[in-house]
Amino acid sequence: MLKSVDKPIHILVAEDDEDDKLLIIKAFERTLPKEKVTCVEDGEALLRYLKRMPPYDNLDLYPNPDIILLDLNMPRKDGKEALAEIKANDNLKMIPVIIFTTSNNEEDIKATYKMGSSSFITKPSSFEGLVRVTEELENYWSKTVMLPA
Amino acid sequence: MKEPKYPSLHQVKIYSIVTLILIMVGSGVSYWTAGRIDFYTNELMHTDKVVKRTGELYASILERETNIRGYVITKDQDFLSYYNQSNIDAKLLIDELQVLTIDNAQQQRNIEQLRNLVEERIRSFEATVSYLDTHGSLEGFVGPTRTNVELTGYKLIKNIVFDINQVENKLFIQRNKRLVNNINALPFIVGLISLFSVTIGLMTLFSVYQYNKAQKNSYLEISDVQKKLREKIQLLDDLNVELEQFAYVASHDLQEPLRKITAFSDLLNLQYYDKLEGDGLLYLNRITAAAVRMRQLITDLLEYSRAGKIDLDAIRPVMLNKVIAELLEDIEIAIQDKSAQVQVDPLGKVLGSDTEFRQVFQNLIANALKFSKPAVSSIITITSCDAEESIVKNFTFLDQSLSYYHIQVIDNGIGFGNEHAEKIFSVFQRLHGKKEFEGTGIGLAITRKIIEKYQGWIYAESVTGNGATFHIILPKITE
Repeated sequence: MLKSVDKPIHILVAEDDEDDKLLIIKAFERTLPKEKVTCVEDGEALLRYLKRMPPYDNLDLYPNPDIILLDLNMPRKDGKEALAEIKANDNLKMIPVIIFTTSNNEEDIKATYKMGSSSFITKPSSFEGLVRVTEELENYWSKTVMLPA
Repeated sequence: MKEPKYPSLHQVKIYSIVTLILIMVGSGVSYWTAGRIDFYTNELMHTDKVVKRTGELYASILERETNIRGYVITKDQDFLSYYNQSNIDAKLLIDELQVLTIDNAQQQRNIEQLRNLVEERIRSFEATVSYLDTHGSLEGFVGPTRTNVELTGYKLIKNIVFDINQVENKLFIQRNKRLVNNINALPFIVGLISLFSVTIGLMTLFSVYQYNKAQKNSYLEISDVQKKLREKIQLLDDLNVELEQFAYVASHDLQEPLRKITAFSDLLNLQYYDKLEGDGLLYLNRITAAAVRMRQLITDLLEYSRAGKIDLDAIRPVMLNKVIAELLEDIEIAIQDKSAQVQVDPLGKVLGSDTEFRQVFQNLIANALKFSKPAVSSIITITSCDAEESIVKNFTFLDQSLSYYHIQVIDNGIGFGNEHAEKIFSVFQRLHGKKEFEGTGIGLAITRKIIEKYQGWIYAESVTGNGATFHIILPKITE
């Protein structure tokens, strides 16, 4: 039941900022088919998506993510709260959560790793940097490591 | 505000001394007056004695006359022995009187006269007795002439005794008057001086009271000022923390849109490069360059706001030589590029963190390299000695009870006008155009902030074209 290596992964992005959302999608376009990246606008939507609550109850439209890119600073439910809920949920806790944020605060890094996040990435300042990050993410999570199906 | 006039300690001292002197003078005058009283009392008693003795003498002469008469009439031998007895008494009394009046020439003369008269009387008595004993009666001895002589002799004695008494009485009245004057003056003098002493004493007490009050007031004023100062310092500290927080948050939040400007210009560049015409590409490049510079400014500002934060856990003794040696290894290429020489003397240990002091020397060395003279290999010398008291005194905000190192970073670069020596430590202050020398102008501001944090100070000295010297004053570690 393991996802075989070298198969496109599905990435769920929790990001409230429209610009960042656009930049992330643009960057991933170069490595992943468009339909493999889904965006939600905050932590609450993220949890609804993962728990299959409306409007995310259609599995074809909203497939199960292989990894989650999580922004920390979001309205309603912020990244840390969402992370805590995911890691407290037996069905969701095995999904790798990658913190993707503007922060490079030591406290945030420590806290999120302690809470069970898989990586901590500070948003690069250039588009080229962003492209490099998406390439590495794609390379690592779809070609290097084994993920639960 | 008009200051109330309070006595000085000097005034209080003078009051006390005046009081003391007055009491001493009062005691002296009282003692002296008491002496005078004693003296006049003795004089009076003396006069009294003279009068008494004179009276006794007179009585004794009368007694003699009586005894002689008794003998002449009765021929009883008892009268004669009484007579002899009083004869001796009279002589003794005259001797005594002569001694008593030794200081009075008039009385001496009177007494000498009295002695002669008495002796004459005695001779006359003895002549009478002798005649009576030889002839059995005074027949032919007593006559009108004789009687006259006898009476005159007696009268003369009476007169002279009267004179002596008169003189002594006069003296008695005089001396009594002086005694009474002195006795009367005593309470007046003592009273007057006591009054003065009490007045001045009260003034002293009042002054002391006022002085204490003034002291208490000034103490209250001082503690009030101290309290206000402490409040102001607290306020400043709070403001500083707030400012740093503001700088941190502001620069952090500024990064956000800036990142997007950069990212979208990149995207534009990537996707529409061929489609941009004319100056379009130039403008896009300008946007990117401006964004890069703004990023640097924000990063520096963030770093500056962090430099002031005190992390007590990170503070430990820093071996400056070790920190600089590691730093020089890391920036070896930059040093070689400028064909620079860095010479470091033995430096001591200071309190702080390795990272921060590394940054201090990195900024200073980078500065020296950056502002080196073209075509001249730069020489950077770092020296250290004990800071002279006169230098530390110049900076009143330094704890004057500590001993300090005086570290100097000396270069042979282009230097700067000494009028800019303070300006270069301000945030984003640059003395040169961006095209000539890159950088935001935050390095020295951060350097000063770090050194200030560890109770030190940094200042610079330079002459344009003649190199610059950065002076670092840092407290020595007390071991």
